[in-house]
Amino acid sequence: MAPSATDTDWSVNYDVLKREKLFRNPPTDHTAYPALAASIRPHVDSFNALFDGPKTLEEALKDIGTKTFLDGDVETSEQKKVRIAEGRKAPRRNRLNVRISEVFLEKPALPPTNKFATRNRNIYPSECRERHATYRGKLRARIEWQVNNGDWMESVRELGQVPIMLRTNRCHLEKATPHELVEHKEESEELGGYFIVNGNEKLIRMLVVGKRNYPMAIVRGSFVKRGHTYTKYGIQIRSVRPDQTSQTNSLHYLTDGNLTFRFSWRKNEYLIPVMMILKALVETNDREIFEGIVGNASSEGIKNTFITDRVELLLRTYKAYNKHSRSACRSYLGEKFKPVLGVAADMSNEDAGTEFLRKVVLPHLGCHNVTETQDYDKFKMLLFMIRKLYALVAGDCAPDNPDAVSNQEILLGGFLYGMLLKERLEEWVRSFSPILRDWSNRNSGAKFTDSAFERDFLSKIVKRSNENIGGALEYFLSTGNLVSPTGLDLQQASGYTVMAEKINFYRFISHFRMIHRGSFFAQLKTTTVRKLLPESWGFFCPVHTPDGAPCGLLNHLAHKCLIATSDVDVSKVPKALVQLGVRSESSVSVEENVTVQLDGRIIGYCSPKQAGAIANTLRRWKVAGDDRIPLELEIGYVPNSTGGQYPGIYMFSQAARMFRPVKYLPLGKLDYVGPFEQPFMEIACMPNDLISGVSTHIEFTPTNMLSIVANMTPFSDQNQSPRNMYQCQMSKQTMGTPGTAIDYRTDNKLYRLQTGQTPIVRSPLYNAYGLDNFPNGTNAIVAIISYTGYDMDDAMIINKSSHERGFGHGTIYKTKVHGLDENDSRRGKSRREITKLFGFAPGDQIKAEWRATLDEDGLPHIGARVKEGSYVAAWHNVRYDAATDSYVNVDGVTHFVKYKDAEEGYIDSVRILGAESGVEPCQSISVKYRIPRKPIIGDKFSSRHGQKGVCSQLWPAVDMPFSESGIQPDLIINPHAFPSRMTIAQMVESMAGKAGALHGHPQDSTPFQFSEENTAVDYFGHQLRKAGYNYFGNEPLYSGITGKEFAADIFIGVVHYQRLRHMVNDKFQVRTTGPVNNLTGQPVKGRAKGGGIRVGEMERDSLIAHGAAFLLQDRLMNCSDSTRSWICRDCGSFLSTQVVASSAGSSKARIAAAKAASNQSSSGGPSGPSGMSGLVRCRRCAREAVFDDSRAVVWEDGDGRRYVGGDNVTVVAVPGVLRYLDVELAAMGIRMKFWVDN
Amino acid sequence: MSREAYQVPAGLGGNQNAFGGADSMGAGGAGSLDGPVVAYLCGECNSRVSLKRGDQIRCKECGHRVLYKERTKRMVQFEAR
Repeated sequence: MAPSATDTDWSVNYDVLKREKLFRNPPTDHTAYPALAASIRPHVDSFNALFDGPKTLEEALKDIGTKTFLDGDVETSEQKKVRIAEGRKAPRRNRLNVRISEVFLEKPALPPTNKFATRNRNIYPSECRERHATYRGKLRARIEWQVNNGDWMESVRELGQVPIMLRTNRCHLEKATPHELVEHKEESEELGGYFIVNGNEKLIRMLVVGKRNYPMAIVRGSFVKRGHTYTKYGIQIRSVRPDQTSQTNSLHYLTDGNLTFRFSWRKNEYLIPVMMILKALVETNDREIFEGIVGNASSEGIKNTFITDRVELLLRTYKAYNKHSRSACRSYLGEKFKPVLGVAADMSNEDAGTEFLRKVVLPHLGCHNVTETQDYDKFKMLLFMIRKLYALVAGDCAPDNPDAVSNQEILLGGFLYGMLLKERLEEWVRSFSPILRDWSNRNSGAKFTDSAFERDFLSKIVKRSNENIGGALEYFLSTGNLVSPTGLDLQQASGYTVMAEKINFYRFISHFRMIHRGSFFAQLKTTTVRKLLPESWGFFCPVHTPDGAPCGLLNHLAHKCLIATSDVDVSKVPKALVQLGVRSESSVSVEENVTVQLDGRIIGYCSPKQAGAIANTLRRWKVAGDDRIPLELEIGYVPNSTGGQYPGIYMFSQAARMFRPVKYLPLGKLDYVGPFEQPFMEIACMPNDLISGVSTHIEFTPTNMLSIVANMTPFSDQNQSPRNMYQCQMSKQTMGTPGTAIDYRTDNKLYRLQTGQTPIVRSPLYNAYGLDNFPNGTNAIVAIISYTGYDMDDAMIINKSSHERGFGHGTIYKTKVHGLDENDSRRGKSRREITKLFGFAPGDQIKAEWRATLDEDGLPHIGARVKEGSYVAAWHNVRYDAATDSYVNVDGVTHFVKYKDAEEGYIDSVRILGAESGVEPCQSISVKYRIPRKPIIGDKFSSRHGQKGVCSQLWPAVDMPFSESGIQPDLIINPHAFPSRMTIAQMVESMAGKAGALHGHPQDSTPFQFSEENTAVDYFGHQLRKAGYNYFGNEPLYSGITGKEFAADIFIGVVHYQRLRHMVNDKFQVRTTGPVNNLTGQPVKGRAKGGGIRVGEMERDSLIAHGAAFLLQDRLMNCSDSTRSWICRDCGSFLSTQVVASSAGSSKARIAAAKAASNQSSSGGPSGPSGMSGLVRCRRCAREAVFDDSRAVVWEDGDGRRYVGGDNVTVVAVPGVLRYLDVELAAMGIRMKFWVDN
Repeated sequence: MSREAYQVPAGLGGNQNAFGGADSMGAGGAGSLDGPVVAYLCGECNSRVSLKRGDQIRCKECGHRVLYKERTKRMVQFEAR
C-alpha cells in the first residue's frame, strides 16, 4: 500500500503527533505547508521564467538581435569630398554579423579540473554555505557570426559562473521533497528564493515600479525645468518588452499647446516633437492625425475648441520640419539617432529610424520584426496619450497618483536578474568593436575576409573580450550595486540586494514578502510617498512596516497577495470584446466614447454606458470559467466621472502584477482582483458591509489584508494600531529558532532560543505557515502587579526559579573563518604558492598550555572553552619543496590564531575547508563558536503586543507572590504599561492563555472574530469560570514576603513572551581608563574598541546646572586627557619650559641645584615629569650666563649653552589638548599666555 | 559519575601527547616527520578521512571538500558555576 499523501490541512490545534511524525519522517511527496512555499513563489517563479515557460531570456536575445561590425576605417568628410570629386565609389567595407542565438545556464557542478569526485559532481547549496562559497553554475552562450553574407559559423563560449537562486530550475533542489532536502542538509521546509554568495544568503528585494503599459497622467513641478515653455503637465508610460526590460516614454505639454516626446536612452534624455514620431510610425496625413485625436467631423469632439486649437497648432508647427512622408521622418530620426543607437555605420538612415522606433517608441507594442499593424498600434496609443494629456491640461481628468498601488507593479528579483544578464550579454557583443579594430590595426589593416580572421576570431578577438559575465552578476548580488550603462530604466544604482538574515524565521520569511519603494524616495523630504493609501488594501499590509527612516517605504505584502510571474493567455480577449460591441472609431469626447485597452494596446472604443456593461460581462465570464477570459485577467473599468481618473477599460494580463483572491458574489466563486481595478469595485469586507445591488465581491476573510507576521499578533484588532506595528518589528528581532539545520549553517551570528514553545493563543495561520517548526517564544505566567518597585518603567521581574528552569535561555552561534593568507582567500593557489600551513611547526616544542584548546593537528578541540586570547589554531611558515613534493618548515616557530571576543565561548564545530579543485592543502578553517546566553539583568523581552521591557531582577521564587492554587508568576510586569498603550489584546491573550492552559486546548486568536455584542472577555471569561477561576482573570494573590493576601485581586494569566536579541552583553559600555587617542590623549569612541561614552555639551550643561563640579572634573579631566605639564609663572607659557641638561655644571653646581629643587618643592611645586636632574627652567625668562654668575644658579641646556634664571616654573594639571592647542597656535605664530595663580 | 571515578577510555589515553595519535592511527613513520595524522569526518558521506600536514583537503571516498573535526575524545570538564 502506498503511503497516503501528506496532509496539508491545518487547524488551530497543536497537532503534536502529526508534527512529530513530520519531523521524524520528512514527507517524501510534497511539503506539508503549501502556504509557506507559496509565499516565496514570486522570487522562484520569476527566476524560473528566465529559462522556462515564458523564456524571458530568449526574448532578450531576440531584442539584442544581430550586431554588425565593419572593417576598415571610417571615412572622414574630407576624404568623402575628395572621393566624390574623383568620382570613385565608396570603398567596400566588409560586414561581420554577430548574434547570440542561445544561452545556457548549468546547474552548479564541480569544475572538470577536479578529478577526484567520483560519485556525485553536483555542488549543493549546503556545501556553498559551509565553504563560504558562491552557489553558481556555468553560463554559456552560443555565439554565431558571419562575414558579409557567408555561412553562419557558431561556437559556444563560457561566460563565467553565475549565482543561482535556490530551488529554481537551475538548482539541484528544485523539486526536492522535504525528505530529500533533509538529505542535502537543508531545512525540511527550505523555500529557496535567495542566492548564496560567499556563504551569505542574499536576495534581490522586490521593488515598486510604475505600472507597465498604462499611460499615467502626471503633474510634476520638475517638468518645468526640462526647458523653455515646458509645463508641469506630462503623460508617462512605462512600456515593457517581453523580456521584462522597460523603456519609459513621456509626453510633455508646452505652454503654447505643443507636445514633445521624451525618452531616456543609455542615461541620456532626448526630446522629439511628437508629430515626427506619429508620422514616422505610419504613412499618414494631417487629417488622419487630426481626426485620430479629435474625432471625425460628425463627432462631439470637434466641438471641443480647446483640443482643436491645440491639435491645429501641433500640426502647423510641425510644418517647419518639412518632413511629410513616413520614410522622410524615419530618415530624419535615423540620421539623428544613429550614433547613440549603436547600429552599423553603413545602415541607411531610414533603417536606423525604423530601428529607433522599434527600440524606443512604445516597445511593448512590438519590439522585434515590427509589423505595420504593430506600428499602427503604437500610432493609436500615442494618439490616446495625446488625448489624455490634453484632458489633463484642460482639467477634464485628474492626474494619476504614482504613489498609489493602483499605478504600481513589482519588479521581481528574477526579472531584474534577467535584465542584468541581457544587458551584460549585449555589452559583451558590443565590446567586440574596439577589439576588432585593434586586431585589424595590429595586423596592418587586415580585413574580415582574410583567412587569418577566421582563425583569429575566437582565439584572438572573442577571447580578448571580457567574458566574465558571471563575475558581474556575483558582484551585483554581493553588493547590490547596479553597474549599468543603460540604467535599466530604474531610479537607483544601489541597494537592490539584502542579506536574508536568519535571526528567526519571521525575519527570514519577511525578507521575501518585503517590497521596497526605492532608495530614491528615502531621501525625499515630503512624506506623501510614505502614506498608507486606501488603494493598497489587501495588497500591502497596513501594519507591517518599520517605524523610523524606512517607514512606509518598506512595505510587506499581505499574506494572500499574489504576484504574477508570467503573462496569461489573452489571445481570445480582443475577439470577445469586438463581439461585445467595441469598435474602432472614436472621438476626444469621453461622453461619446471611452477606450478599451488590453496591456497597453488599444482594442477599440465604446460608449461609456457600454463600457460598464462590457466590464460586468467580462467579469462574469472570467469568474464563470469562460476559456476566452483567464481568471487572472485584471479588468480595470474606470467609469466616467467629473474630473476623476481618465475613463475607459484597461485590462492587464502580464507579469509583475499583484492580484489577490476575493469572492465574486453573483457566482459565489473565487475571483482575482488587481490593484488597478480595485478602487472602482465594490468589495465588502465583512458580511454586514454588504450593500445589496452594489456590492459585487466580498473578502474571504478580513485577515487577508495582513502580512504573515502581522497575522501572528493575537487579537490584533483590539490593540492600538502602533502597538501592532511595534510587534511586527519586534517579532523579527526575537531570539527564536532560525531552523533545524543549524549544524550545517555558517552564519556570522545565529541566535537560538533553547526553550521555545508553541503559543497557546494563536491563529490557525500559525500552523498553516508551519511556524511550530521555528518556535519563537515561551508561554509565561504573567502577573500584572506593581510588586517590588523593580518593575518600574517597563522593567519586568523574572522568577528566579523560572530562570533556572530555562525560561528564555538562549545561545549565540558565531562562525569565524580563520584563513592563512592575508589577502583574498577566495582565489585558488597553486601548490607551490603556499607559504603557511595549519599545525604546530615540526620540531617545535609543543607546550602543554597550547594543548589546552588545541588538538595535535593545531586545530581547536570540539567543546573546548575559549576565553579572550585563547589559541584557536596553530600555524607555521612553510616552503614548498619540489624534490619531495612536500612542505618544509625551516624556522620551527609556531604561530597562533587567537580568539578575540571578550565573551567566553565553546568550540561548537570546526570545518576544514577544501577548494573546488580538491588539490589544495588546508588554507582556511571555519570555526563555529557557541556562546551561551542565559537571561541576565538588562536583557530585553517582549510580549506579542509591542510591550517590550528589560529584565530588572531575578527575584527568588520564595519571595514571589503566589495564588490560592499555589501558582507563582514567571514574570511580573507593571500595570502602568497598559493605560496609555491600550494593548487590550494582551489582556485578552492573558485570559485566553490561562483558559487554554487550564482546559488543555489551543485558543484561536484570529482578529475580527469578536464584536461589541460578542466580546472576547465574555468568551474567555466563561471558559475561566468553567475551570473554577474568576471570570475576569483576576485572582487573590498573596505576598511572597509577608504571606498576606493583597488588598486587590491581581490579573494573572498566560502570555507568550519573546526574548529579543538585544542583550546587555552586546551593549554594555563602561570604562574608567582604557585606550586613548594618540594625538589628543582623550578616550577613543566606539564600544568595540573599548572606548567611552561622550559627555557632550548638553550633558556638561546639566552637570553644571546641578553644581556637580567634582563629577564634571572627573569626567572631563581625570578620566580624559588630564596631563601634568610644566608652565612658567612669569611668561605663562607651556612651550618655553625645558628640562635642564643633567650634565650641566660641576658637582658643586649639581648640589646647589638639588638644593634649589628641594626649596622649590617645599614651596609647593610638585616634582614634575622632568628629566633625570628633575630641574625645569623657562628658557624664555632666562638670560645667558656671564662669567660673574655663580655656578650655583647657572644651568645648561642640551646644547651646552649656559643660562641663568627662568626658575619660576611650576607644574599644572591641564587637559592634554590645551597643550596641543598651544603647540598648534605656536605653529601659526600665535602665543598663548596663561596667568598662573598660587 | 564523580570526577575521581572517571576512567580514560582504553586506547585513547595515549592520545594526550602530540604524536600519540599518529601511532594509534597506524600511519607510521611519515607522521613523525610530517606531523600527526588526524582523522576527520567527511561532510558528505561521513566516512573517516585521515589527513596529515599539507595534505589535500578532500574526502578519500567521495571527493567532498568540507571535512568536520571529530568531537574530541579527551575528557571535557569545566568548573560548573
